[in-house]
This record gives sequence, C-alpha cells and structure tokens, in this order.
Amino acid sequence: MLSRTRGSATSFGRYLSLWQLLLASLLSLPLATVSTTAAAHTPIAPVATTAIDVDALVTGAVDQTRGLSSYAEMSMLIKRPSWQRKSTLKAWTRGREDALIRFVAPTRDAVNALLKQGERMWTYTPKLNKSIRLPGGMMSQSWAGSDFSYDDMSRSDKWLRQYRLEHVATEQHDGMAVYVIDAIPKEDAAVVWGKEQLRIRADLVLLELAYFDQDMQPVRRMRSLEVGELGGRMMATRMRMQELDRPDQYTELEYLDMDFDIDVPERTFTLFSLQSGRNR
Amino acid sequence: MDTLVLLFNLSLRNIVRYRRRNFFLFAAIAVAVGGTTLSNALIRGWQVYMLETAVSALTGHIRLQAPGFADDPGLDKAFAADTDIRLGEDIALAGVAQRINLPAVISSERETRGVALVGINPAQENISFYRDFVMEGEALTGPADGRLVIGKALADTLQTQVGRRVVVIVEDADGKSRERGYRIAGVFDASMQWPEQLLVFTGLQAMQQSLANSRLPAPVTEVSLVLQQEENRQLAQRQLASQHPELVVKDWRQMSPQIAEIVDIVDATMAIWFVMIMGALTLGLVNTLIAAVMQRTQELGMLRALGMSDRLLLTQVVLESVGIMVVGVVFGLILGVAMVFGLGDGIDLSAFSESVEAFGMSTLLRPVLNLEDLFLFGGLSVLLGLLASYFPARRALKISPLMAMNR
Repeated sequence: MLSRTRGSATSFGRYLSLWQLLLASLLSLPLATVSTTAAAHTPIAPVATTAIDVDALVTGAVDQTRGLSSYAEMSMLIKRPSWQRKSTLKAWTRGREDALIRFVAPTRDAVNALLKQGERMWTYTPKLNKSIRLPGGMMSQSWAGSDFSYDDMSRSDKWLRQYRLEHVATEQHDGMAVYVIDAIPKEDAAVVWGKEQLRIRADLVLLELAYFDQDMQPVRRMRSLEVGELGGRMMATRMRMQELDRPDQYTELEYLDMDFDIDVPERTFTLFSLQSGRNR
Repeated sequence: MDTLVLLFNLSLRNIVRYRRRNFFLFAAIAVAVGGTTLSNALIRGWQVYMLETAVSALTGHIRLQAPGFADDPGLDKAFAADTDIRLGEDIALAGVAQRINLPAVISSERETRGVALVGINPAQENISFYRDFVMEGEALTGPADGRLVIGKALADTLQTQVGRRVVVIVEDADGKSRERGYRIAGVFDASMQWPEQLLVFTGLQAMQQSLANSRLPAPVTEVSLVLQQEENRQLAQRQLASQHPELVVKDWRQMSPQIAEIVDIVDATMAIWFVMIMGALTLGLVNTLIAAVMQRTQELGMLRALGMSDRLLLTQVVLESVGIMVVGVVFGLILGVAMVFGLGDGIDLSAFSESVEAFGMSTLLRPVLNLEDLFLFGGLSVLLGLLASYFPARRALKISPLMAMNR
C-alpha cells in the first residue's frame, strides 16, 4: 500500500478544501445556489476592471468542479527522491459533504478506502479489516503517503466562512484573464497559514493554489499542469502538489475519466460500503 | 547543690586539662554535627522543592474533579464554576484556582502536537507555577482573554512565535471536535521542560464561551486549593468530600504518589545518616573518656579513699561526657548554620540540568534550615553523650584506692 511517508512530517495544516478543488475541478455543475453570473465559460470581468466579485469567483471555481454528484477515475503519482509509485483510484461524491475514495490498483493497495461524511472521515484497510475514524489530530497527516493531507480531502465550504478574499492582481494565461486572489484567514479561523493564494482563470478553472506561512513565504503549492474538458466541463485534469522546500518530491493527481450528476446509490456513503469494498 | 557545682568544676577541670586531645574531640563533633546540619538543610531544601513542584503543577494541595475525569478527560465530565467550595474557618487558604484542562491538538504551519489546553483565570494562578513563568510577549490579561500562552519548547517545535496564529482542536461539551485559530499572546519559559512542552494556557471564560453547551454554561473541570498549612490537607479533604459527594476530592499525595513517596524516603534517609555519623562519633567519645578515666586512676582512687560515693563518681563522669558533647554540638550547629548561610542562594546544578530534572529537582539546590531538626540533632547528640558515658563510668567505678596505690 502507499505506506505513510516515513518520518517525513507531512503535517501541513489546514487549508481550503483541496478535495473539492480536486474532485470539483472535475465534477461540477454550477449549482443553482451560485448566485453569480459565473456561468461556466463566461469571463466574469474584463481584465481591466478591478472591481470583480471575488466571492462569486471563488465560489464559482469551486462549484464549477462539483456536481450534485460525481464519479471519477484518477491516477495518483507519488514522487520521492529514491522511489515513486503510481496508483489508481475511484471516487464518488454527493453534494458538498459526502465522498468515498477507493484504491483499485496496484493490487496490494486495492480496497483501501477513505469515507467522508461532512467533516468526519474514516479510513478502511483490508489488512486490518477495520474502519478507523480519523481523530482531529490526525487530519493534518499525510493521506496514503502522498503530499496531500486528510485535511486537504475533507474541507468543505470554508472559503467564504473562514477567509477574507481579496483580488490582488490580474494576469493573462492562454489569452484569458487569470485572477490572483489572496485568501486571508479570519482571526479565529482554523487555518494555520498566513494566507492562501488562488489563481483562477476567467472560465473558473483553478490554476494554482499556494499556501503561505505567517511570514508570507510560500510553503506548499498545488498547480494545474493540464487543463481540459472532462465530463463536459472545463477543468484542471492534472495537478501537482508540492512542498516548496522539497523540490525533488511531489504528488500528481490526474483525472482519467469523470461523470457528473450521476445516480450514486445512498448506501455508497456508509461505513458498510466502506468496508465491503464492493463498489470497486 | 554544692556537690553538683563541685562535680561540675571537677569535670570542667578535667576537660581543660587535656586541651589537645579534647580539642580534636570537639572538632570531630563540631564537624560531624555541622556536616549533618548542612546536608540536612540541603535535603530539606530538596524536599520542600519537590513538594512545591508537586503542588504547583496545577494540582494544589487538594483538587476537586468530576468522577471519571481522570480516566477520560472531557468537558462532559465538568461541574459548574459556581459550585460552592468552602472550608471551615480553622483552615486558612492560600488560594483557589478554577480551570478547564482538556487534551487538545495544536498545529502550526509546520508541525502538530498533542497538548493540554488549560483555561485559567490568571489572577487565581498565584498558587501554581504559572506565576513563575518568564513571559516573552504578553501574559494573559484575564479570564476573558481568548489568546494563547504556550511554552518555549513547544513554540520551538511548532516553529512559531509570539503574535502568530495556531490552530487548536479540542472536544466541546457535546463531544464534538472544535477547531479554531488562536493568536499567541506570549511564550513562557518554565524552570522545567514538561510544562513548556505540554501546557497551553488560555482564558477560562473565553474557553467556556467557545466550548460549553446550554446544559452547563460555565463549566470547570477542576478546582485546586492551596492551604496555608500543608498539614491541614487531610482535614480539608474530609470536609470537602462530605460537602461534595458528587465530586472526587484528592490531595497532592494521591495525585503525585511518587513524589509523596520520595518525600517520605527522605525523612528516613536523614535519620539513617544522622545515626551513622553520630554513632561513629560516640564510639570516639567512649574511647576518649575511657582513656581519661584510666589516666586518672590515682586521682580517682584518692577521691574514693576520701569517701566519694559511686553515685557522685558516676555523675562526674557523665557530666564530663555530656559537657564535651554539648560544647561540640553547639560549635557544630554554629558551623552548620554558618555553612548554610554561606551557600546563600543555593548550589547551582545547572551543569547537570537534564539529569537533575529527571529527579524532580530544580537546577538550584536551595538549603532550608528547619529549627525542629536542629533541636532534634542537639537533643539526640546530648542523649548519645549520656549513653556514651556508660562504659567509662563503669570503668571508673571499678577503680579502688588499692589499685591506685599499686600504680
């Protein structure tokens, strides 16, 4: 299995829901609740305009990749100085809260799974034949030996609640405007970072998410390496998460296939389903 | 009475007659008593420090908690802050502190650690080691201060500092994990390592507001009491236990049994030490007195011929022995007290700080003089002198005028 990175203190704290950003980048239907004008491919504002609706932009980018439900197949590459490992996963999501991720390859990792219900998470390991509820203190640990933490996988909807969003610059990318947005955690937010910085393309594709420490030095960065259309939506299809002081190691996540708004049975997001491993 | 004065004069004269021999005897007694006094003061100092450590480590002389809290700490096992905790008028209190003390997880950008999050009212913490912390940045301003104060060792581990934000996860009264960002107001330096690594303080009221539920709006998980006189603790414990049958009332000996054990062992050690040193001295004293008696065969024979009774002769030898002991002990005590004052602020053990700390000692060993101990030493020494005079006295009684004439 993707063993935990030995000794490496992959304890990056808490940030935005990568999970949503990941899955979401794949999955989404703009929800009706998104009040923004952010229909998928409509640039929100001309480059020159400084007054863009930042909240709407961020919500739009998140919802862009999040359907009412979704199914995804992806591969994950963990690169370390002396080794690397590639595994295949399947993921189901429903709404903003529920998700099930299961390894399907390589064989020795198969059936390992992670279940998320709201803010609670469980892992299942067939070797132990046991589901373990993740205690709060473990949420910042590395997930499956990757550069992602459980926290990255579990957060939902914190952008507007826990951060103050600020539009700081506008760049160009492939002829489209890219908005650089600083997300500064509110005073009592459960966020250890000094700030997080998002680069969102005008068509709501999240290009980059960087985590800054409280000296405002970048510490981790997730970058979209490829952008394409999957399941009928424009999204980042390959992303790399990296700790900046370890340039020779990273984790890449690539979406192979994606379906939005499919019918996921209710029982998929239960402990029973987590353990049965049937939905392979 | 006149006889007694006469005997006293005789003894005094005998002592003064052999100046050199008796000087060394005095010196031996003085050094032994002085050394014992000093080592006693140091050991007492350690004992006092251990007790102080045990009591100031958020335990107090007596602590009240809800049943089950010690095994499974959680805010569901709390009691109301306004619980009436009162002692009888005969027991003077030094202070009372209410706290919430919960296991928590603290994270910075780089590290995550398990700690105890302690909600305090800083004004009440003059009874715990919190008052001795050397604070960098600001201390908590009051119970409503929602910022954190963390230890220096923890700040180093987390690679954070004063003014930064950290995230703390802790379970609320409903058993739900709550996580929140906190600003670090201050970083404290404690005399020991473990509080720096394990304890994180915040305002009690702020903690109550963020974690309590409607069932118990102002919970506390513990109340510690420090008494003016430690000896009253059992009485106080009984009173509190009958007042609050719904709570668990423990004294510091139950909370820190290993320290209580050490404190007890120290008492025994001191007794053994004293008996050994003074025993050796007593044998020396016996030897000297027998020699003195033998040297004075002719003199004693003459006194017997003149009609000195057994009882008087015995008294004279005893007076001599006790006299030597008393003078030696007085000089010894003076010497010991002088050495203790000479040490003044204590012996600096910081060169061995880690191993010393493992023993529960501070890096500064500060001697403590205990008047009772001094009286005990003095009294016991004189008693030993009394016993020591038995053999020489018996020897003296055997001397007859005839023996004296044959010399």
